[in-house]
Amino acid sequence: MEVEIIFKIASIGILTAVVSQILKNSGKEDISTLATLAGVVVVLVMVINLIADLFDTIKTIFNF
Amino acid sequence: MDSLYKIVGIALVTVIATLIVRPVRPDFAVFISVVGGVIILFLLAGYIADIFDIFSKIFTFTNVNASLYKIILKIIGVGYLVEFTASLCADTGNGSLGDKVLLGGKIVILVMALPIITSILEIVMELLPV
Repeated sequence: MEVEIIFKIASIGILTAVVSQILKNSGKEDISTLATLAGVVVVLVMVINLIADLFDTIKTIFNF
Repeated sequence: MDSLYKIVGIALVTVIATLIVRPVRPDFAVFISVVGGVIILFLLAGYIADIFDIFSKIFTFTNVNASLYKIILKIIGVGYLVEFTASLCADTGNGSLGDKVLLGGKIVILVMALPIITSILEIVMELLPV
């Protein structure tokens, strides 16, 4: 839950971009789309977990 | 002061990571900026809790009804949360949605503040020689 998660997301983004580019160049368009989607879902799960943590913290601080 | 350096560093790292990732994957750049904002808010959460501890200590000296203090606390929380969400919407290009979130926050705050307003009116009615 520190700066590492930013680097993690950035590296996942670059990695999926490279993978989808390679797959697209080798003629596998559909698998490339799936790889992109998988990357987006993985990052989305991380971000949603973080936001849920933030909302829990806000709930406890502000006595909601 | 220590966490100020942390906040500034996280902001700079987020900006640079966003700049690097944006040309390759514009959607991931949005995620990175969201996560940077959330981490900064996490760093601030401890300070906000400290401030509210002191506020509640001061409030116990004033003999005012404690439920009013809780309402004020909730209103401040709604304000911060709505501000965060609205600026997030504006960052991702949905400024009009952010405006609607702000409107929702204002209305929720008004509904929350109604008990305070009615208690003020009750005090006024007691003071008036009717």
